[in-house]
Amino acid sequence: MKIKHLSLAALCAFYIACGDSNSTSTDQHEHFEAEGWNLYWPDWKLAYSVYQGKEDKSLEKLRVNANCLSEHLTVKFLDDEKKEVSAPKDDEHSLGWSVGDESILDIEACGSWGFHLKGVKEGETTLTLKVKHHDHADARTPQIRVIVDKALKAEDCPFQDDDEENEHHHDHEHEHDHE
Amino acid sequence: MMMKKMNITTITNTSTIMNNTLIRAVMGSLLCGGFLHFSFAQEFIQDLGNSTVVAEQSSETVLNGLREDEILKDEKIDRKISTTIAETIRNEPDIAIRSMGPAAARPVIKGLSGSHVTLTEDGSFCGDMSATSPDHAVASEVLTAHKLSITRGPQILAQSFATAGGVIQVSHQDIPFEITTVRASSSHNPNNTQIHGYIADYAETGQLGFATVLGANGNIHGLSLKGELSARNMGDMKTPNGTLKNTDIKNKSIAVGAAYSFERFKFGASFRTFNSDYGIPGGFIGGHPNGVDIELSKRDFTLQGLYIPAARPDTLNVIFRYNQYHHKEFETKKYVGAEFAVNQANLRVENFIANSGPFFGIRLGTELDSRSIEMGGYVFTPPTHSYAASLFSIASLNGWDGLEITLSARLGGAFFRPRESVVADKDAIEDRNFALWAFAVEFSQIVAPGKFLTLDVFRTTRAPTIEELYNQGPHLAAYTYERGYHKLDAESGYGAELEFRDYGEHFNWRASTHITWFLNHLAPRATGDTNWSQLLPIYQVSGDDALLMGTSTSIETSAEQGFYAQAGASYVCGFYQNENWSDMPQIPPFHFHAEMAYIWQHVRAGINTEFALAQNRLDRYEQRTPGYITFGALLEFHWALTLANYSIVLRGDNLFNADVRNHLSRLKSVMPEKGRNVSILVKAEI
Repeated sequence: MKIKHLSLAALCAFYIACGDSNSTSTDQHEHFEAEGWNLYWPDWKLAYSVYQGKEDKSLEKLRVNANCLSEHLTVKFLDDEKKEVSAPKDDEHSLGWSVGDESILDIEACGSWGFHLKGVKEGETTLTLKVKHHDHADARTPQIRVIVDKALKAEDCPFQDDDEENEHHHDHEHEHDHE
Repeated sequence: MMMKKMNITTITNTSTIMNNTLIRAVMGSLLCGGFLHFSFAQEFIQDLGNSTVVAEQSSETVLNGLREDEILKDEKIDRKISTTIAETIRNEPDIAIRSMGPAAARPVIKGLSGSHVTLTEDGSFCGDMSATSPDHAVASEVLTAHKLSITRGPQILAQSFATAGGVIQVSHQDIPFEITTVRASSSHNPNNTQIHGYIADYAETGQLGFATVLGANGNIHGLSLKGELSARNMGDMKTPNGTLKNTDIKNKSIAVGAAYSFERFKFGASFRTFNSDYGIPGGFIGGHPNGVDIELSKRDFTLQGLYIPAARPDTLNVIFRYNQYHHKEFETKKYVGAEFAVNQANLRVENFIANSGPFFGIRLGTELDSRSIEMGGYVFTPPTHSYAASLFSIASLNGWDGLEITLSARLGGAFFRPRESVVADKDAIEDRNFALWAFAVEFSQIVAPGKFLTLDVFRTTRAPTIEELYNQGPHLAAYTYERGYHKLDAESGYGAELEFRDYGEHFNWRASTHITWFLNHLAPRATGDTNWSQLLPIYQVSGDDALLMGTSTSIETSAEQGFYAQAGASYVCGFYQNENWSDMPQIPPFHFHAEMAYIWQHVRAGINTEFALAQNRLDRYEQRTPGYITFGALLEFHWALTLANYSIVLRGDNLFNADVRNHLSRLKSVMPEKGRNVSILVKAEI
């Protein structure tokens, strides 16, 4: 009798212990890979370029004045043959970033794969751009140095908010030309 | 202890059965007995000291009896207890630690890590993923371990094919068979009730916080029960260079078990849960700036049955364990970066035969294993079912002139069935089957009173892991981009180990040297390439021929009271067979430790030192690690009072706050190991 009770207790314990299914709560997904990044100003002038970890040193450093927005920057990617490829077009990927010192620089998103630098106070900091996929980054840039120059009054900023419409126009053109 | 090992029974009858085995035992023990100071020898001499001794045949070699005295248990384990199993055994011969923060630490044996080192809990597999990646912690709370032992020699083949490495056995005694045995032998009243309770608390300054375990065993109406709770809550690790953020550990475990004896049968069941939340620090190239938080949970359900025939100490032991392991890595508080879910079932049948023909200590067994692993999040290994089956046998026999020979073999297969996944190339999804075989032969000779010379010759092998076969992607917590190769062959190798032990009047010492020639040694090696999308260094699993060799020695005084001194050193080096015989990666440097103490009846006080030389033998793209020296002190009290035993162990490690870099730590380039650390263990057994 005791053995029957013990067996029953063991079975109950087994059910309690292992009855729940043990499976993953997140799915695996295909991921976007990029060997390099190009950032373009609205006039298609290259603002920043990195390929396989090597930055194009011939380009000027990214700059913005404190209290101002930079012009629009469009993000493009490079594949393993250094050919430019478009950003992912699905809803799962988006542009993300992290700023070394947020008291110096902020980022204002603009469109799916574009952004403005926003100077907060004079100084120098770093910016890391990422291709966000769900909760993680599929790709990231090295730390990009950004210089925030002295503060200007809003009306003196080289780029004004009302230029946004033009800038979007550029963005679309740019997208089209590089496809 | 000796009664179990040698099966010597004292009776009033003067008739004595002397067979070859007893002659061997008597010869061996009398030859060395007067000089032996381990409890093994003392008990043996006491047994022989009885005027009338009936010796049934021996069931274990003298060498194995001596090895049992090296098990960490009772005061020995209390003295060394630390944050993890690896930290606790770090000064044992040939042991090093692979780590990635204080929680993710795993033992390395003779320079071999990962799946070369098998971990078992209560005789069956420890279902975790600590072998697969340096950021994965061992899912076992060290404070709940009653015993820790390192299996060496031919006995490894009872658990693993990897004879070049070793097996770390953790004993929780979750199925309380010991209580049923005590009850059966100590009382004829089946209703006799016995209770054994224990509580232990551990705290340290190097990682502020505490660990505690509370447990009780009881015997009620012939049914033995066990219940145990443990908790660990420790903050960030303090190093000489400041606090290393995101190194906190929170563990919880619950264990319940029951055992019942019915005539010649014993049945038992246990259930153990283990949950751990711990951090992997950040700030590395490619790593998450704030590190990664890992949550893991493990549930083990174990059934065990024993059959013990009347006439002999033979035992048929059947263990079934079902294990669920779940592991999540968080890059941010909110989202899962990586996820693993493992379901594993293992059936192990082992028949122990004390004597048969010329053989003794025979272990014949089989093991069947089924494992399913699913991945989620940012993991690039396809979900895979794997199966394994193996047969093993170990047996000893007497040679001439005190020679003991132990023969062991393990034969089996491992079968991998990956499923298609969006993260894996279709070409790489390939079923793989591996036939595995390994053997070991051990010759142990008493060359003079108290002196043993042992030679092990072995073949080692292991199948590649799922990750080594199929992984293709970044592992953010480990800061690497890991590439497996689905065409890998099994690893194999041939090796030998020579050991000398001397149990003298004042000192006991041992020295050993080992060498293994690996054919297709599997290891992830830095390629020097970078995954430019993630900016992570690429590690590629490759199979290379390699030569691994090393030596270790230890010496200790044999006095049980008064002045005590102990010292040990280990060294290992490894080379790949190529033009330059280049160094293997992740090889620990020369390590030395020593302790001096004075032992009174209830008190022990001592000082200790530990140093490691710089590691300049490096694989490609591996970084040099400087040496270090640390000093520590120990004060411990043990006393018994009204049916209870109490212990207090106060320990100071790295008292001068030295900058300690572990060559096998991925964090070594950023921060040193724990700095000055004062710990206390308080324990009561009722």
